[in-house]
Amino acid sequence: MNTTRRDEVVLHVPANAGYVALLRTVVGGCAGHRNFTLDQIDDLRMAVDEAAGQLLKHVVGDGVELAVAEGDQALEVRVSAATSADGAVIDRESFTWTILQVLADELDVRTEGSRTIVTLRALPEVGREDQGRGTA
Amino acid sequence: MSNASSYTREDTKELFRELRETGDPEVRETLARLHLPLVEYLARRFKDRGEPIEDLVQVGSVGLLKAIDRFDVDRGVEFSTYATPTIVGELKRYFRDKGWAVRVPRRLQELSLRLNKIVAQLTQELGRSPTVSELAQAAEVGEEEVLEALESGQAYSTASLDAPSGEEDDAPGRVERMGDEDVQLENLEYFASLAPLIQQLPERERTILYLRFFQGLTQSGIAEEVGISQMHVSRLLSRILGYLRDGMVGADQEA
Repeated sequence: MNTTRRDEVVLHVPANAGYVALLRTVVGGCAGHRNFTLDQIDDLRMAVDEAAGQLLKHVVGDGVELAVAEGDQALEVRVSAATSADGAVIDRESFTWTILQVLADELDVRTEGSRTIVTLRALPEVGREDQGRGTA
Repeated sequence: MSNASSYTREDTKELFRELRETGDPEVRETLARLHLPLVEYLARRFKDRGEPIEDLVQVGSVGLLKAIDRFDVDRGVEFSTYATPTIVGELKRYFRDKGWAVRVPRRLQELSLRLNKIVAQLTQELGRSPTVSELAQAAEVGEEEVLEALESGQAYSTASLDAPSGEEDDAPGRVERMGDEDVQLENLEYFASLAPLIQQLPERERTILYLRFFQGLTQSGIAEEVGISQMHVSRLLSRILGYLRDGMVGADQEA
């Protein structure tokens, strides 16, 4: 495995609600190995669920992409898809925005071309030291 | 039986011809009613997956209607033969869309139940929710297994919101006492399109939604407050958000 400073896990799934569970699982797995607490893991899973679900309502492309990047401290989770509306997919007034903001430490929603990108950042609550990984 | 069904077959063909000619919705309905037993029969094949049979019949009926609309009476195929894969397909899709509503291995079920207790215990001890490695250590299993078990706990989150959620550690008494929170739900109703949906939520779900997103309580905090397990809170929250998202589709598109 190629270990750069930022390990990144990327998953591309078809634009179908049936695959959202898979995105949740992946983000849960990534966070689970990074000393996030259960509360935080569930929050992230829920946030991905919400973001992906919201994107799916406006999706025009053939899929939704999840990218989980492990920074020095934070976990950065990006959920993106090609969407129809420009910028209005998740506006600041929406319930989804409220939810995502509660669930993530930092939230950013932006459009690049026709893609809507939801970025969630989360910081582990617990320090990493003396927390070895369990048996594989 | 064979007499009755062959009679029905002729009947069915006649009705389909009529439907094609007139497009009469009543004929469509008659056809649907006539084949409801087929839906019920097929729905029962999925009855062990933890969904109420009435829900499954409803889902299967969607498949039946699709089949009715697409059926070509001149193809020489019996309608029931034609409709079966469509109905089964609809049922399967229903389960797939609800996540992995598959059977969870007993080993994981047991671990999941055990973890529930350990989570509560560790949360008490640590004053915060535990990490996966802390759980693995306490349960004396690997992190992978913990993650798997947590995931499988989520797999049960398929039941409908209205279903009584008496699966584990419900303590409805405590929730009922929280009825006063209702006043503050106007926060939630700021989102106008949500108001009717939220009103339809059971009291406890509304309370949990409010505590999490408008009071900023953590899942563990809510678990303690409401008197159910953290995993249960997590499941309920996911379900509530899914429900709200599905319900808002219509409202969204108007905007």
